[in-house]
Amino acid sequence: MAFVAKRCGVKFDPPSIVLVYEDGKTKKMRQRIMPVRNFSKCSDCSQAAERLKNNARHSAYLQGVSLQQLERLHAVLRDHLRGRTLEQSLASLRLDPDQDLNKLSDEELARRKAQMDVLFERNRKHKDDPDFVYNLEVEFPEVDDREAGSWDESEEGF
Amino acid sequence: MARGTTDISELDQEKYDTDERVKIICLGDSAVGKSKLMERFLMDGYRPEQLSTYALTLYKYTTTVDGKAVLVDFWDTAGQERFQSMHPSYYYKAHACIMVFDVQRKITYKNLANWYKELREYRPEIPCIVVANKIDADMKVTQRNFNFAKKQGLPLYYVSAADGTNVVKLFKDAIKLAMSYKQNSNDFMDEVMRELENFELEQNEESSDKEDNVSKEEKTHLQ
Repeated sequence: MAFVAKRCGVKFDPPSIVLVYEDGKTKKMRQRIMPVRNFSKCSDCSQAAERLKNNARHSAYLQGVSLQQLERLHAVLRDHLRGRTLEQSLASLRLDPDQDLNKLSDEELARRKAQMDVLFERNRKHKDDPDFVYNLEVEFPEVDDREAGSWDESEEGF
Repeated sequence: MARGTTDISELDQEKYDTDERVKIICLGDSAVGKSKLMERFLMDGYRPEQLSTYALTLYKYTTTVDGKAVLVDFWDTAGQERFQSMHPSYYYKAHACIMVFDVQRKITYKNLANWYKELREYRPEIPCIVVANKIDADMKVTQRNFNFAKKQGLPLYYVSAADGTNVVKLFKDAIKLAMSYKQNSNDFMDEVMRELENFELEQNEESSDKEDNVSKEEKTHLQ
């Protein structure tokens, strides 16, 4: 591969995606700043990410960067345009196991679901996989002395 | 008659009284994987019916139980769970319930108590299976006690919609439970429902708590 992506980040002013990559020929580390154009606080992050990934000038460099990552970086840029701090923005990208997702807006919920889908896809067995079993049954015998860290607290009258 | 966007009471549910049809409902918080479980079970063979005005997805499935063809309607929430409560018609005439939580998010386990309470308000007797989903994320959770199921006397299944663990078993068992409930139903609520069909609704005013639920269900039905 001509360019090996190493790291990818953002710059707020002007809104840009920054890529650190290795040039396959010279083996030198380089940095590429890709301004994000026509992007406002109302823009659709997945469309913008796709646009950048398919951009004639940048696509060769972005081969090794997933669309999901570009989408997340655009979400950080957009959050900044909306006046959110970087901390708030990153927190919303992280999964908080105690957050009640029932209470989120459609867009926020979609963001969380997209994050969960990463793990889902990673662990997913497809029906074309050689070791795919449609009816996969696994027994988990009840252990008498289960380890601590239970989610049941005695004071809560479940 | 005012109709909200989530009013599903106008759907014809009388069909669930016929012998060869059962209705199984899915409950649980947003993003616990209810739809992914359905899709894993049905694979390519599924044809979901999006009833978006009702925030409802129906999955139809045909199978045989004891040599008899059975048509199963799985009801999935399509976002209706965000109102923290389901429309009464969602529960109406259901024969079994699959109640899902995400082993990665404690709050979805805690919320089971609310879902279960609402389920029992409308369907006090139907079989209910508790499902611990996403065990692929952390197999150690299968070593953990989830006392909610035990306390309520409900079966608990450890499953993964991603790698398929116990998904097919879960749905096949749910269908069996729904069928046997339907055949052997001595569900008090069903009996009372039949009795009430010829009664005036006013007579319910001085009734007990249980009958209050009945009148709630019947009102929905009559809307």
